[in-house]
Amino acid sequence: MPSDLNWVERLLYRLITAPSGVAEGLAQEKSLEHGGLAQIIVGDDRLSAEERVDIYANMYFYRILDVLKEDFPATLTMLGAERFHNLVTGYLIEYPPAHFSISYAGEHLADFIRGHPLREEFPFLADLARMERALVEVFHAADAKPLDAEHLRAIAPADWPSLNLKLHPAHQVLELEWNVAATLDAVEQGEEPSQPARDDIRMLVWRNRNRVFYRAIDRAERDQMALLSKGTTFAEICEVIARGVDEEDPAVAINQCLEVWLRDGLLRILSCATTN
Amino acid sequence: MKREDFPFLGFGVGLRRDHYVHILETHPQIDWFEILSENFMVAGGRPLEVLDGICERYPVVMHGVSMSIGSTDPLRREYLRELKALARRAEPAWISDHLCWTGVGGRNLHDLLPLPYTPEVVRHVAARIGEVQDFLERPILIENVSSYMAFNDSTMTEWEFLAEIAERADCGILLDINNIFVSAFNHRFDARAYIDAIPIERVIQFHLAGHSDHGTYLLDTHDQPVRDEVWNLHAHAVRRFGAVSALIEWDDNIPEFGVLMETANKARTIHESVVAEAPRDAVRSQLG
Repeated sequence: MPSDLNWVERLLYRLITAPSGVAEGLAQEKSLEHGGLAQIIVGDDRLSAEERVDIYANMYFYRILDVLKEDFPATLTMLGAERFHNLVTGYLIEYPPAHFSISYAGEHLADFIRGHPLREEFPFLADLARMERALVEVFHAADAKPLDAEHLRAIAPADWPSLNLKLHPAHQVLELEWNVAATLDAVEQGEEPSQPARDDIRMLVWRNRNRVFYRAIDRAERDQMALLSKGTTFAEICEVIARGVDEEDPAVAINQCLEVWLRDGLLRILSCATTN
Repeated sequence: MKREDFPFLGFGVGLRRDHYVHILETHPQIDWFEILSENFMVAGGRPLEVLDGICERYPVVMHGVSMSIGSTDPLRREYLRELKALARRAEPAWISDHLCWTGVGGRNLHDLLPLPYTPEVVRHVAARIGEVQDFLERPILIENVSSYMAFNDSTMTEWEFLAEIAERADCGILLDINNIFVSAFNHRFDARAYIDAIPIERVIQFHLAGHSDHGTYLLDTHDQPVRDEVWNLHAHAVRRFGAVSALIEWDDNIPEFGVLMETANKARTIHESVVAEAPRDAVRSQLG
């Protein structure tokens, strides 16, 4: 590995990502005392060495800003363009991209917002960003063949109790302090969003037929999701559903749960004696 | 590598999300698609479903932006593993990436940065291409990038650097005609001299795209039609290299698919007119 090349790449990386621009980054560079950047980069009558590196610095920031605008449209809408721009400036200092895919650029934005002063004015912002990031992650999450009603009917009833079930991998359950669903809906439909209401809420985000959905779930369904996420048997999940029922007929409750989960493509079969 | 090992695919366009539905529903008559590898290096979901649908009907090549072949960081094995897995799924005619570095110290700038053109860097990059080719078990293509800065340490021209690396690594070249034009303006070199110095047998693909004029420099924006000067340079390249698969890149302000088809057909028309006018021994012998 050429040592000079490593030195040059590290220098350019520092300058391109310098928080206040290339000029300020250059002022911090002790190693460039003699001749400055023009020692390394060719400048001419059209553009100085610094201006040439500046082109890359601008492209770095705006390329990532554009990706984050696309991935966090509701966060952007609630903050406005200028505050979002400033948020991203700070975010990139604390969480510079490391993954090879730019689609990971926003993976820490919600964490960053959690400790950001903007949270005073926009206390719901971290939850909103977390939901938007979950939508991106679920969109790209792993595939699995979902269990459908027809498949279930093909299994002998005697085998149902031992059926090993698991949640489809393309799902997330988020515990939120703000009900951000209406804000997301409004932004998606191009309407004026209102401030989310304070509400301890659990949101299920999942993918069905390659489209991403979300809905609020109650604590009982959250626990059922947790069990299904680890993998369980049909008998065990029925037992858990039945335990959560007060006066309702357990069979009706089990039927309702299964109907919704099958409709939403949330389940998959791990193994069964009469399938595969 | 041998040029004849790579098929001539004709005139294609870059596959972009805006056109997924149109392509899958109407199956337009286009010769081939180039996919951005990283867009499909995902665990599952819609992108892979689209990819499978495209691969059923069209030849596909994979074009990456994150190999960072010129970085002094170690090659990312995780990236190469995912790239190889995607290649198993897409069965591309070839895989390409850029002659550049995209990050260092484990960080990614998500940009294509130029390298100093020195024999030491030639050896560094060629060795890494060799590693990649061994891992992927196939030759790759490297593409010249648009650049806005050059290094005082360079002791070679960009075209000598590109040709020397391709020779040493025994890899192919994806010659981006627009990038040559942009860099020629930005660094005041002769674009035709660049093309004339590239070894014919290494060039497997052309890129054509639009750029924007910022007065003191040109920026490779892929957001507008291919400029006439780039078309002229393309004709010059066809005269030298003959039948090379050509691809239209359009990444921003993306027009309707029909506009991309028209642009690909313009590349075809130029190619055919150059071939028709060329002396037998200058171009036709290279058509295979």
